[in-house]
Amino acid sequence: MSNARKRRTSFVFVTPLLVSMILAFNVPLILMFALSFTNPGFTFEHYETLVAQPIYMKVLGNTIRIAVIATVVCAVIGYPLAYWISSLRPKHQVIMIAFVVIPFWVSILVRTYAWIVVLGNAGILNSFLVDIGLLEKPARFIYNELGVIIGTTNILLPFLVLPLYASMTKIDQRLIQAGESLGATKTQIFAKIFFPLTLPALGAGSLLVFMLTLGFFVTPAILGGGRVSMIANLLDILINSLPKWELASAVSIILLAATLGCFWIYRRLDTLRS
Amino acid sequence: MGPQRHLVDKKLAKHADTTDIRRGVMRILYLSVLAAFIASAPGLGVSKASAEVKEVRVIMSGGGSAESVEVGYGKPFTEKTGVKVTIESPTNLGKLRAMVGSGNITASLIELTGPLLEQARAFDLIEPLDWDAIDPDPIFDEARQPDALGFQYYSMILVQNKDAKPVTSWQDFWNVKDFPGTRSLPDRAVYTLQIALLADGVEPENLFPLDIDRAFESLEKIKDHISVWWSTPAQAAQLLNDGEVEYTVAFSGRVTSLENTTYSFNQGLLGLSYFTVPRGADPAEKAMAMKLLHEMTVAKNQAVAAEIISYTGASTELEALLPQDRLGEYPTTSANKLVQSLADDKWFFENAELVERRWQEFKLGL
Repeated sequence: MSNARKRRTSFVFVTPLLVSMILAFNVPLILMFALSFTNPGFTFEHYETLVAQPIYMKVLGNTIRIAVIATVVCAVIGYPLAYWISSLRPKHQVIMIAFVVIPFWVSILVRTYAWIVVLGNAGILNSFLVDIGLLEKPARFIYNELGVIIGTTNILLPFLVLPLYASMTKIDQRLIQAGESLGATKTQIFAKIFFPLTLPALGAGSLLVFMLTLGFFVTPAILGGGRVSMIANLLDILINSLPKWELASAVSIILLAATLGCFWIYRRLDTLRS
Repeated sequence: MGPQRHLVDKKLAKHADTTDIRRGVMRILYLSVLAAFIASAPGLGVSKASAEVKEVRVIMSGGGSAESVEVGYGKPFTEKTGVKVTIESPTNLGKLRAMVGSGNITASLIELTGPLLEQARAFDLIEPLDWDAIDPDPIFDEARQPDALGFQYYSMILVQNKDAKPVTSWQDFWNVKDFPGTRSLPDRAVYTLQIALLADGVEPENLFPLDIDRAFESLEKIKDHISVWWSTPAQAAQLLNDGEVEYTVAFSGRVTSLENTTYSFNQGLLGLSYFTVPRGADPAEKAMAMKLLHEMTVAKNQAVAAEIISYTGASTELEALLPQDRLGEYPTTSANKLVQSLADDKWFFENAELVERRWQEFKLGL
């Protein structure tokens, strides 16, 4: 087969996916974009509302703040975890990676409710802490921002650990040996060789976590106790209760723009890494 | 050289033949996949035949409420007509708007609570009912509207753990000094603003138009003592069950049967939930749905539904048929209906955006 024909044949195989992406994703996205400028003629009023009523942007700001915190927590927990796993013997590495990946297969809803059982007022942890006399009355671990961050971190940790682990195992051991033979201390090797080599993966993984947190819905709805305003939950009200789809579209477009900005940075880091 | 050359040509020709055939097969496969995909895409496929109605599809809230409709009204309806009732949950305005907007009506009945009914009218999402076809038994006036049939009264009431000091009013609920304990309120402005005003001493009959500023001032006093603002009706019951909170507000039907809890209808917020027909519903299925609506006006059926969940239908003759030992559980019995107030849905509709914005602002300050 000639190359041109090959290309044509492979295009034929790609079209079903292409058509479904265009019909099910791109067209609705463009319609949503159009909706944010209609009432029913062309208008900027929905975007003007967003500027005039700062509440919407405040909720978006709050969402970004929580996403940043969740990302930092993920990085602080995930980096040492990936480092530790990559230092194990290969057989043990497989087992530990399985422990990281298995929760992936459990529904987010189930995992989120599980936190209620563990961290609730009458939950396992609180009962234990009260029983041993460390606490006088149950501490509030969930139904607040802490709960949302715990739940989000738990769900998104693998997104950070897996790329980090991959990049750590790929590091050329000869670089480390070269450092050692030149008399570098362990700290120096980590700071000057190991860490810089894993930095792009850390950045890319962090951005992935950050972008996913921006759109989280279930976790804040259940573990936030109604006191953590996040954009996805506000969109739910705008779409299902009011139903102000035009305004919801405008909010979504701004969220999309913010996410695309992050994605652009992500791509840049990805190119740097490879 | 000659014959060999000939052989190669033949081979090539054969090869070309098979690739042609293969390409033909591929093309057919490819086209059929594409056709199947397009046919399955909503709104693009061949419209379904509507000659014979085999089922009436209903979108409504889930849980005990859906079960009560299935058993109380669906069963006698199916016995009479042989037509199945299929229930899908949950219901919300977004679903209705999407159905009507896309012209792909997947249900002939959709449940809407009062404030949502007003919204649906404003967006022109529902069509008139055929009351001649419904041919209702006697029902309360507010349940009979041109485009909606009120089928279920519910109430947002005060609920508490049995062991906590009993509260009987919203003033008590706000009084954290004399009634210590963890508390929860709905993350829904429609209910919480009314409760805040009642707690601040506003008489039920003077609630509307709501004094929004006063409501939020009242909420400022209690907000630090609220450990959870619940977002789904099931969550309120779950929080009590888990021992997470001692006092909360919940839909009556969800909590009257819970163990270890007590409740009070005093100052409860009575509401009426309606069934409506999405604009553009299939006429044959709509006609069948009217017969299902008829069953919802029959007192005997309502009594069966009320056995399953302690909400009540709109029949004027229902009270005598209810289990007399459980009368206290029902929102519309004469003893309970008097001490509650019915919300002004129209006001909420007209102020929906403002209320929601203020509510979000309040929550950001939590």
